[in-house]
Amino acid sequence: MTTLNPRTLQTLTALAAVALIAAGCGGSTTSETSSSSGAPAAPASTDAPQLSDQQTPPSRLVIDVTIKGGEVNPTNAQFDAKAKEPIVVRVNSDVADELHVHSNPEHTFNVEAKDGPQSFQFTVDVPGKVDIELHHLNKTVATVTVQ
Amino acid sequence: MIEGRSTAVLAHGLGGSADLPIPYTYALIGAAWALTFTFAVVALAWRKPRFDPAKPGRPLPARLTTVVDAPATRWAVAVAALLFAAWVAVAAVFGPQNGQNPLLGVFYVLLWVGLVALSLAIGPVWRALSPVRTLYRLTPLSRRPPPNQYPRRLGYWPAALGLFAFVWLELASPDPGSLAAVKIWLVLYLAVTLAGTFVFGGRWCARADPFEVYGVAVSRLSPLRRNPDGRIAIGNPFDHLTSMPVRPGTVAVLAVLLGSTAFDSFSAMPQWRNFVDAHSGGLPLGAVAIRTVGLLVFASVVGVTFHLAARATGGVDGATRRRLPGLMAHSLIPIVIGYVFAHYLTYLVERGQQTVIQLADPLGPGWNALGLGDAQVSYVLSMHPSVLATLKVCFVLGGHIAGVIAAHDRALWLLPKRHQVTGQLAMMLVMVGYTFTGLYLLFGG
Repeated sequence: MTTLNPRTLQTLTALAAVALIAAGCGGSTTSETSSSSGAPAAPASTDAPQLSDQQTPPSRLVIDVTIKGGEVNPTNAQFDAKAKEPIVVRVNSDVADELHVHSNPEHTFNVEAKDGPQSFQFTVDVPGKVDIELHHLNKTVATVTVQ
Repeated sequence: MIEGRSTAVLAHGLGGSADLPIPYTYALIGAAWALTFTFAVVALAWRKPRFDPAKPGRPLPARLTTVVDAPATRWAVAVAALLFAAWVAVAAVFGPQNGQNPLLGVFYVLLWVGLVALSLAIGPVWRALSPVRTLYRLTPLSRRPPPNQYPRRLGYWPAALGLFAFVWLELASPDPGSLAAVKIWLVLYLAVTLAGTFVFGGRWCARADPFEVYGVAVSRLSPLRRNPDGRIAIGNPFDHLTSMPVRPGTVAVLAVLLGSTAFDSFSAMPQWRNFVDAHSGGLPLGAVAIRTVGLLVFASVVGVTFHLAARATGGVDGATRRRLPGLMAHSLIPIVIGYVFAHYLTYLVERGQQTVIQLADPLGPGWNALGLGDAQVSYVLSMHPSVLATLKVCFVLGGHIAGVIAAHDRALWLLPKRHQVTGQLAMMLVMVGYTFTGLYLLFGG
C-alpha cells in the first residue's frame, strides 16, 4: 500500500497536467480567433511587388504575369486575398499556354500568344492556399493565400 | 504521357487548394506546451513502468468476436473489398481520363489517409480488405505451406521500400496527378505483392505489403485489441502500443512516413520551389532528382536522429544498445499519426467526399449510381480556418505527448536505474525537435 499511494498521486498530477493542456489548447485558441482572422489582411498587399495592386479599386488583387521567350515573371510569388473577392491575372505572353488555378473548384483559362495584356478574373470561395500555374511551361506563377 | 499532360495538377496529384498556414500564435502556443509537457514527463511523471503489452484489455461481449471471426463475415468483407477494387479499376480504365476520374482520390486519399483513420479506429483492417490476400485465399496454393520461408533479416525493409515508392510518386515524381503513373504504380504493387505472397505465403503480406505494415503499425494505438485468448477487448492504447514487434526496418518504416509528411509541407514553401526551379536546369528529370534527394534527406534525418537518440544512454552493454532503436520505435507511431492527421485531415474529409461522389459515376455519363450525383462537397473544415488550425495544433501536440509518454515508459523498462533520467534526455530533445519542425512547417516557414 505504501508504494501505491505516491503512485496514484503521480497519476493524478499527470492527469491534471493533461487536463490543463486540453484546456489551454481549447481556451487560448478561441481567444485568438477574432484577432487572427482580421490581422493578416492589412500587411497582405505589401508583399506584392507591384505598387499598382494597391491603387486598383478596393479589395481586388491584380497579378501581372509576363511570359517572354519561355521565361515567366514572376514565379513562386506570394499574394494574399480575401475569399469571394475578385482576383485578376493580367498576362502578357508571346506563347499560348493554359493557366490553371488550383482552387476548389478549379479554374482553367486559355492564354493566347498576342501583344497586349489578357485579363482573367475569378473568385475563390473556399479559403486556402491557391496555386496559379502555367500548365505547358510547368511553372508556378504565384500562390495566393485566400483567407 | 498525353493523358497525364492534359490533367496535370500540382500537390498530391489531386489539385485544388492546400490548407492555410496555421497562425503564428497557434504555433507558438503549441511549441510552448510541447516543451512544458516534455519537461514535466521527464522530471515529474511516474518512476516505474506502467504500460505492459501482456496486460489484457477489458473483453467485449463474446458474440462480437464470434461475428467478426466468422468465416462468412471474413469472406463478405473480403469479397466486398475485391468488388470495390474492381469498380475502381473499371473506372480507372474506362472512366474519364482526367481529374474527374475517381482513381486519384481513391489512391491518395481513401487508401493513404482513410486507411490510417480506419486502422486507428477499429484495428488492422487491411488484413481483411487486402485484395491480394483475398486473391491468394482463392487459390489452392493458400492451403499448402508456402514454398519458401520469409527471410527474417528482411524484416519490414520491403515495406519501407514500398512506402517510399508511394511517397515518391506523390511528392517527387514528374506528375503525381498522372493517371497513367498511378496505374503503373498499382500494377507494379499488385505484381510484387502477389508474387511475394505466392513465394513466401501470407507472411509476405504481413512484412512487405506497405499498406498492411502501415495499417498494422497505426492500429497499435487503437483502443481495440485482441486479448491473448483471441477475444476482442478494449483497453489502454499505451499497453497495446508496446506490443509492436521489433523487427529490422521498423524505424525505417516510421521514418519514411514522418519524413515524407514533413517534406510535403516543406516542398510547398516558395524558397524550396525557387531552389528546384533554379537548379533543375529546366529539365523535368532534374526537378525529380532534386525532389527525390529532398525526400530521402527528410526520411534519413528522421531515421538517423531517432536511431542515435535511442542509443544515447549510459550504463548498457553493446548488444542492448543496438536493440534500443527498435525497442523504442513504437513511440514514433503516435507522432506519425498526429502529424498525418494534422496534415491530411482536410484531404480526408473534403477530397474524400469528392472521391465518393466521383465513384458514384465511375464512367462519367451521369449514372448517379449511388444517388450522389448531385451531391456537393461540403468544405466544412476549409470554411472554418481557425477550427482547422486548432485541430492541427492539437493533433501535433497530442501525437507529441503520446510519443513522449510512450518513450518515457519504455525507457523506464529498458534503462538501468542510474541512467533513467539522463538516458531519455536525447530522445525527448529529438521529439521536441520533430514537433517544433512540424509546427514550423504547418505555420509555413
